[in-house]
Amino acid sequence: MKKLWFIGFSLAFTLLAGTVMPALADLQLGQPLTLTEITKVSDIEKNPTAYVGKKIQISGTVVEVCSSRGCWMNLASDTPFEKFQVKVTDGVIIFPMSARGHAARAEGVVEELKLSQKEALDYYQHKAAEKRESFDPQTVTGPETIYRLRAMGAVIKD
Amino acid sequence: MNWRRLNTIIHRDLGYLCFGLTMIYAISGIAVNHIHSWNPNYLINQERGTIDNLPGGPADAALTTEILKRIEATGEVKNTFQPDPNTLQIFLEGNTVTVNLNTGETLQEKVTNRPLLRQMNYLHLNHPKKLWTWFADLYALCLGVLACSGLFILKGKNGMKGRGGWLTGAGLLIPLFFLWLYF
Repeated sequence: MKKLWFIGFSLAFTLLAGTVMPALADLQLGQPLTLTEITKVSDIEKNPTAYVGKKIQISGTVVEVCSSRGCWMNLASDTPFEKFQVKVTDGVIIFPMSARGHAARAEGVVEELKLSQKEALDYYQHKAAEKRESFDPQTVTGPETIYRLRAMGAVIKD
Repeated sequence: MNWRRLNTIIHRDLGYLCFGLTMIYAISGIAVNHIHSWNPNYLINQERGTIDNLPGGPADAALTTEILKRIEATGEVKNTFQPDPNTLQIFLEGNTVTVNLNTGETLQEKVTNRPLLRQMNYLHLNHPKKLWTWFADLYALCLGVLACSGLFILKGKNGMKGRGGWLTGAGLLIPLFFLWLYF
């Protein structure tokens, strides 16, 4: 009986230990990064269509992370007030909330989302729900095109 | 040893072996099932406030230090970001401070892991991948064996020829009903 309690406590301790251990130390997520050249986010923003379908690597500070599923993060651009979304397939890569404020690199293919007004409305409504923020449907006034990086791999720097 | 005795032993021992994992999958299952209405991994505590007479000027290190001092936030500054000219975000360990530079309104978003639950979800949703994938497959196989062996523990009126049969049938009809309803 004592042994069973010992095993039980050991398991609980192991699980608890994970909650207090340091969350990050150059966290490698998904596939290893292969490209050596980093594309500036500002270059993509200047001419996004030129990058659609191309495999690139970007870098920047993580300024936002999907708190529900960790399925996207926003990296700060090299130009002020701009950011770029890095999206991953749910469950394949999970960006931790502790990544916020850390430098990161992500590699993947730039994708273009052409949304009708209804789709844009659903998209922003979903984003607001993820962030548990209120959403004003009046802010969506027409169709929109969104560019983002569909990432296969990322590194969050310590 | 007859087959029924062997079946009972397999069911009993697999049951003991699978107890811990079944509890993890059960608790985490309920937690992630309601992901639309709560965050099963993190506790996010939002604190709002206002800084009176916030000094103007550029959003530099001096302003960052002043803001943190005024709201009594501690910890090393990991980075800062301005999503727009009027907003400054300051990233501390486990805390993100968002400041409206015009009004002085502040929002501190303190994030901590939900103890145990985050680890359970990590395993349940197969975030480790690698060897865990195979182990989880093995566990699923064990659950299948548990379910099948459970059918033949008892014989007679409480076994498959009586109560057991009816309840098993009802258990099969429930998912079929929901498929008919929603699929």
